[in-house]
Amino acid sequence: MRVLLQKYLNQKSESVTLAVFRICFGIMMLYGLLRFWYKGWIETTYIDSKFHFKYYGFSWVKSLGDYTYVLFVICIISTILITIGYKYRAAMIVFFLSFTYIELIEKTIYLNHYYFVSILSFLMVFLPANATFSLDNVHSKSNYTNIPKWTIDSLKLLLCIVYFYAGLAKLNSDWLFSALPLKIWLPSKYDIPVIGETVLQYNWVHYAMSWGGMLYDLSIPFLLFFRKTRLIGFLLVVFFHLFTAVLFPIGMFPYIMIVSALVFFDSTTHHKIIAKIKQLIPPIQSKKHLNPMLAIDLFPYKKKKLTLILITAFFTVQLLLPFRYLLYPSELFWSEEGYRFSWRVMLVEKIGNTSFKIQNKKTGSFFYVNNSEFLSPLQEKQMSFQADMILEYAHYLEKHFQQQGHKDIAIFAESYVSLNGRPSQMFIDPKINLLDQKESFKPKTWIIPFNDDIKGL
Amino acid sequence: MLKRNFLIVCALLMTMGCSDNQTNNDTNSVWEQKGDMLLNWADNFIIPGYANLNSDLDALSVSISNFSNDPSNANLYQVREKWFSAYKSWQKVEMFNIGPAELTYYNSKMNIFPTNTNLIEMYIEDGNADLSLSLSYAAQGFPALDFMLFGLESSDEAILYTYQNSSKHRSYLTKLIEAMVSNTQYINTEWVNYRSDFIASTENTATSSVNKMTNDFIYYYEKGFRANKFGIPAGRFSNTPFPSKVEAVYSGYSKELSLEALESIADFFNGNNLPSLKDFVDNNAVDTNANLTDLINAQFSSIEASITGLNDNFRTQVSINSSQMMDTYDVIQHGTILLKIDMLSVLQIATDYMDADGD
Repeated sequence: MRVLLQKYLNQKSESVTLAVFRICFGIMMLYGLLRFWYKGWIETTYIDSKFHFKYYGFSWVKSLGDYTYVLFVICIISTILITIGYKYRAAMIVFFLSFTYIELIEKTIYLNHYYFVSILSFLMVFLPANATFSLDNVHSKSNYTNIPKWTIDSLKLLLCIVYFYAGLAKLNSDWLFSALPLKIWLPSKYDIPVIGETVLQYNWVHYAMSWGGMLYDLSIPFLLFFRKTRLIGFLLVVFFHLFTAVLFPIGMFPYIMIVSALVFFDSTTHHKIIAKIKQLIPPIQSKKHLNPMLAIDLFPYKKKKLTLILITAFFTVQLLLPFRYLLYPSELFWSEEGYRFSWRVMLVEKIGNTSFKIQNKKTGSFFYVNNSEFLSPLQEKQMSFQADMILEYAHYLEKHFQQQGHKDIAIFAESYVSLNGRPSQMFIDPKINLLDQKESFKPKTWIIPFNDDIKGL
Repeated sequence: MLKRNFLIVCALLMTMGCSDNQTNNDTNSVWEQKGDMLLNWADNFIIPGYANLNSDLDALSVSISNFSNDPSNANLYQVREKWFSAYKSWQKVEMFNIGPAELTYYNSKMNIFPTNTNLIEMYIEDGNADLSLSLSYAAQGFPALDFMLFGLESSDEAILYTYQNSSKHRSYLTKLIEAMVSNTQYINTEWVNYRSDFIASTENTATSSVNKMTNDFIYYYEKGFRANKFGIPAGRFSNTPFPSKVEAVYSGYSKELSLEALESIADFFNGNNLPSLKDFVDNNAVDTNANLTDLINAQFSSIEASITGLNDNFRTQVSINSSQMMDTYDVIQHGTILLKIDMLSVLQIATDYMDADGD
């Protein structure tokens, strides 16, 4: 076993694969950040809001107000450095920290693919993606042809986890036997040319797409892994993600996944891509003649053992984290305890409406809060069906009304949620004073149990 | 983008198009259904609604000019009667804050209450107030007339006396009705052109007619109806009730107006047996929530029963027993849940106030 492991760790692979991945990653991130800026979302998400929802344990992350733009500029610069491979490691660390910080400021905009970018960039800090075709090579006057194979495999593993876990999450009765929520979503896309009015309206299509999506997610890792099925796997990736991009407003995610899947191809493909880039940007070609580089076979890993331990720990967490929901007695889709960071993508249709009653404990007099005074529409929408946000907001309201001179207050939530088109049901126990509750990893007993049954993982 | 969409469409058709076509027995496509619904809204609700209001306001205008020439008791009663029927017609159109109405802040000019009496008195004195300024919205429209016709003084005699002796009051009254008539006429005229845009916009985008109108409908139900008419005066959003914040506070017609508003809400939802939101919900409801429209209509009935039990004058109701008004609010609030959660969950209306990625 040990020998086998040692043998695997000593295997090498061409460094060009990681170089292509690095360039693609840098460009995608650059585009994604500029797009976010261009759409005015920095303003609406990070600057306009009075109050930000925080991840548990990260309440120390503060909004930077107008300086959020500076943070974005830093993040953008790091993507450029990553793309050209200049001071790669430092740039990757800066990217990971700045991007993650941005995400940590506001919980209501949580998206699985932002989380994916965060952990992917963390992983990439430890990978020699600047071993070739980077400015770092020019700088050090040395070019590395090969890198340890496991560095590339770690990226493949992360992608496989994303797909496979997304597939596992679809193994539930709503998705498979009621075609929910696709049955709700697809007919509303009637305005998509040609298919909208026809295909998307058929009941059997909703089922076919539910099952197809599940089978796709579960099988893609294997299709991409084997050389024989790789091309068909990649075509499926392109088709599936472009199709979802047409159907749903999911931003950058489809493109990130398509580009990432390139890492599964062998190095001849990546050589071709590099050659193409060189063709497109002639100066790179000419510059190479000016600075003759020392061609070195294998990239020398510093602190290899420590890196390996770290990456092993990283993947252990990644493999286990999505299963933490098993520790909670409640229905996962209803309470969402252990829902995030688990590749549960486009899985449920949920709408909620939650209003807060501020009551004087002594006199019993009360009034209701107008949520739109404190929250953006997006924040209000997200808060309305997620218990941790309801609790956090209640505590924020406590502070606000105490500052206004209200004393001895209790806060109650009147909350209704509909899950996958079911009749709306009361979500939070209206008799529970939310101010008596503290956020923790323990099960939230004040969530009213779901009155239906969803079977499956 | 277009090219890409086209390729995807082709690919999809190749994989799916070759199988059965039997399921395609719907005679009406979604586009046509939405188009029919918009047509019903435009031709049977919105345009006639504004036309009715327009003619009611014309009649009010005539009676005000009679009253202005001869401020007699009989003429005052005539004005009040015309004002009340116009106000009832207003309840039919307040929810249509779309197109020309939205662009010209028409609703704000017509029905902001409580009206700002200090400002009104200042404008009367000044004689030259510009009612097109946003500052003046709280001193015009139906609530301002409510004050001018019922609340200027504590008795009818005193009110008459004021009009008989103050040309400034007479002229502000005229100014108010002139503004309301011309603002409404503008909406009426604009709808002639806007109608074709309105009924043609059947796609599912944040700015399409169906989506905007549905959002406006729910917004009206929640804000214009639930909060303004009941929640705010009952003290739902404050520590104490505000009897003075009811609609038509000086005339005391609040209950009748709110029942009128409820009827418009229910009619709009049900479409008077023509294509409506109700049909759309029925067509799209998930099995587990199949009788949603029955629930919504039952809720409308409960609301009606609850409102009927209130005092005719909501100011009196709030003053003597605000908790009964709160109960009514709760019944209305449950309707909000049904419309805003259950109905929207089924309709999948793209919202006009949110722009963000999902995943």
